[in-house]
Amino acid sequence: MNTAGSLKRGTRLSSALFIGLAAGSAALMATLGGAFAAPKGELVVINWLGGSELAAMQAFEKAFTEKYPEVTVKEIPITWSGDARGAIRTTLMGGEKVDILINTWPSFRQELVANGILRPLDEAWTKNGWDDKLSKSWRDLGTLEGKVYGIPYNYGDRSGLWYRVDTLKAAGVTTPPATWDDLLASFPKLKANGVTPYIVPGKFWAHAEVFETLLIRTAGAEASRKLGAHEIAWNSDIVKTALKKWREMLDASCCADVSTMLGTDWDNASDIVLKDAKGGFFLLGMWINNRAEDNYGLKPGADYGLVQFPALGLGHDTDSSVDAKEFNAVTTGQNPEAADAFLDFALSAEGSAVFAKAGLASPSKATDTSLYGPVIKTSNDVVAKADVVFVLGDRLPAELGDEYRTQLQKFLQDPSDANIDRITDALEVKAKELY
Amino acid sequence: MNNRGTIWIPVLVGALAVLWIIPLVGLLLTSLRPPGDITQGWWRLDNFSLTLDAWRSVWTKYPLAGAFWTSFKLTVLSTLGTMLLAPAAAYAFQFLRFPGRRLILIVIVNAFVLPQQVVIIPLFTLWRDTGLIDSLWSCVIPFVGMSFAWSVFLVKNFLEDFPKELIEAAKVDGCTPLGTFWYVVLPNALTPIAAVGILQFLWCWNSMLLPMLYLRTEVPLTVLLARVAGSFEPNLDQQSVAAIITMAVPLAIFITFQRYFTAGASSRTGGKE
Amino acid sequence: MAAPTTMGIPRDGQGGGRKPSFFGRSETGAAYILLLPMLALFACAVIYPLIDTILLSFTDMRGMAAGKWIGARNYLTLFRDPNFLTALSTTIVWTLVVTALSVGIGWGLAIVCSLAPRATLVFRVMFFAAYGVAETVSGFIWLGIFRPGTSGLLNAVFAGIGLGDWTTAWLGNVSTALWCLMAAYAWTQVGLPLMTCFASIQTIPKTLFEAAYIDGARSTSIMRYIVLPLSMPGLRVAIFINLLNALRAFDMIFVLTGGGPVRSTETIGYFMFRESMLQFKLGYGAAATVVLLLAVVVISIPAIIKRTAEAT
Repeated sequence: MNTAGSLKRGTRLSSALFIGLAAGSAALMATLGGAFAAPKGELVVINWLGGSELAAMQAFEKAFTEKYPEVTVKEIPITWSGDARGAIRTTLMGGEKVDILINTWPSFRQELVANGILRPLDEAWTKNGWDDKLSKSWRDLGTLEGKVYGIPYNYGDRSGLWYRVDTLKAAGVTTPPATWDDLLASFPKLKANGVTPYIVPGKFWAHAEVFETLLIRTAGAEASRKLGAHEIAWNSDIVKTALKKWREMLDASCCADVSTMLGTDWDNASDIVLKDAKGGFFLLGMWINNRAEDNYGLKPGADYGLVQFPALGLGHDTDSSVDAKEFNAVTTGQNPEAADAFLDFALSAEGSAVFAKAGLASPSKATDTSLYGPVIKTSNDVVAKADVVFVLGDRLPAELGDEYRTQLQKFLQDPSDANIDRITDALEVKAKELY
Repeated sequence: MNNRGTIWIPVLVGALAVLWIIPLVGLLLTSLRPPGDITQGWWRLDNFSLTLDAWRSVWTKYPLAGAFWTSFKLTVLSTLGTMLLAPAAAYAFQFLRFPGRRLILIVIVNAFVLPQQVVIIPLFTLWRDTGLIDSLWSCVIPFVGMSFAWSVFLVKNFLEDFPKELIEAAKVDGCTPLGTFWYVVLPNALTPIAAVGILQFLWCWNSMLLPMLYLRTEVPLTVLLARVAGSFEPNLDQQSVAAIITMAVPLAIFITFQRYFTAGASSRTGGKE
Repeated sequence: MAAPTTMGIPRDGQGGGRKPSFFGRSETGAAYILLLPMLALFACAVIYPLIDTILLSFTDMRGMAAGKWIGARNYLTLFRDPNFLTALSTTIVWTLVVTALSVGIGWGLAIVCSLAPRATLVFRVMFFAAYGVAETVSGFIWLGIFRPGTSGLLNAVFAGIGLGDWTTAWLGNVSTALWCLMAAYAWTQVGLPLMTCFASIQTIPKTLFEAAYIDGARSTSIMRYIVLPLSMPGLRVAIFINLLNALRAFDMIFVLTGGGPVRSTETIGYFMFRESMLQFKLGYGAAATVVLLLAVVVISIPAIIKRTAEAT
């Protein structure tokens, strides 16, 4: 909501209150209040975020209540280990009354919608004119079966390689690789310099990013979308081609031995490449940016950088994988007006600025992009032009997603053709059970 | 025995003990060294400096005192519950005959393998319906309830060697079964009760899963400090501080009361061999 | 050590002379008075969730959708699921090795420490300290020790003493991950056997030792005929608690390997977590829980029956 609009609402509310009090009529107040209601009362938010993201969310909630002083935000703090969805589910299944849920998994959203837990937001969308704030592609990402359920407040590129400027320079790699050949050519140079060229964090889930990006580069974002919806079979050539591309990297001795890959988690990868300068590249989301600046004390752009995964020349070189955090409105909520105002505030210039200041990029067009650092800015520009698709692992049903990560670990153990066939067949069998 | 000039024993055990606590030294150093200096490992001596930054930021950022008090209440209630009820049950199983004795014992002891994950959702709905969510009792009840499996076993195991002449004598003197428990067994079973207390204290103090899900406004230290690690920032230095703060209390309790593990020795030298 | 049965309370059928004269004197009445509070809490915290789990295991509940009754299908699938069968065998290895290691070390230490109880007090506390650390925290510490490359302590030590060939990514290597995990877990579990065995040995009257020494008994025979049998009560408790603790172990596995690499360190406890909390197959995960419970019940019933018979 823009400032003028909210001011108008403010004045209308006070006059309504005034008339209501003057007349001493609750009924009159209710009618007028219903017509021009500014939100009030308690807004319940399930908050499972931690660390700096939690701090950003609480700053946002504070800004929201400053703007709507009659609303109080009540947080249901969720502490979790492993997968936050387990704890969120427990809370929702326990029958807690909730207005707003923070979500980052499309497959979870789908499960919630299927069980009637989320409220469609189409009406609020039209009423608040969110078309001015969010592009059609964001609306599509938040849409399920023709209805909008998710309002994204933060997103990040997931197809970029992180690197340290001095590591590349020392190995004689003057510019970050722009093409597949550049990338492969950089491996021996980095290796000769005592650096593991490419770090695959294969311990839990982060190795899947490599596959997803290669899938997008070889077959495009649309193919990834279809694979997520199982419109393409897992044992189709599209999947196999992506895996074979990955094997090309392994054959070019990009990486450490299997045990090391399977023993490395994403944070180790980040330490190895950006802090210890013992690795060339790794592929991960935008949260690395905060880590590099805050924990390692590096300067974005000057000390480290992010480059989109190299072009393969197969017609999908600008396609990109993204992740996003969104708000969902929950049906059990007692205060839908406040919930809608909360969503609207997230897309407003003031609201998105709170996130932007914390280094979290907002998809809202109202965002003041001058608040971003150089790395976020570059990646945003790329993503803005790209055909984007949500991270595949988070789109798959939980059961398949887990199997998918395990099978990709098996690929790392043995990237032969025969094993690729086995892996893709196993995934197809699992997928057939589920769709 | 210790007059036989066995100096090698403390030396050997001491060397092993030092080796044993290396991981804990790591914990301490991680909390005291700047995180940037130790990505290559906390044992690296190049670049050695100590800082209290992590301690300070944990101290200022998190309401430790309140969480400490919550932990304390939660743990003491759960520990007292177990310390009172487990000996009573163990006595009944060991010395009294009643229908269903064996069956109940089997059910209780086997409950030990029940993973905590299993109770989460059923209890969550139960607490919601009874309004106990966010009340300490939502954790105390399962802590005490789930402790019986091992605590009853532990006390009962001790009672198996309990001098039965004492019980017989009490019976001859006209003592009721309840009286025998109160006047004869309980005063002589302080060792296992202390052991049960120490273990239950440790486990309750360190437990996180149930408080994490059932408590909101007042949370114990473990839950508060679980929030130290962000989803994408491990904050290992602050986490180490959290771990040290959390483990300090059970360790102190243990050091204070460990002699109860052995103190019982003198009181029960009869009835042996 | 079998308690003498002759002088104890009469066995079933022998105590015919007892009659429940009034409430407090009747053994049954007294037993239920003593058990009632415990049973109430136990029913609420264990039996009720357990029944819920058993019912759940006969449904196909996935995520938040209400499940429908599918009879024993989960159980049939379970025994054809290679991941479950692997988890089952991993659990057996894990439980036995971890218990043997932790109890063995603790017991040995207890015997050695009992020879100089005062001088080793501080060291016993040091051994016990690991027991007081939350498992997730110990997990994080061991993570640093097993880290790949030279930033892991274990690798650094091997490289330092010229055994650079031995370095590996301990937790990423299929052939070492489980062993590392078991060692780390055993490390946390030694404190309890040490304490209980030590306490047991301390109950041995000193006169017994002195008499043995005076009689010229060799220390091996003192060990064999006095210390070993008399440390049994503590050993029994330690084996029981450590065995069942190992069976339930979860946090350490979760932090160190997450069941990986490629599900090679997955115990049944972790399998249940993966199925019900990561894959959200709640019905299926519940079935795995029930199987685990049944297995333990079957294993433990004979022991319990034997011991309850012995004790009376």
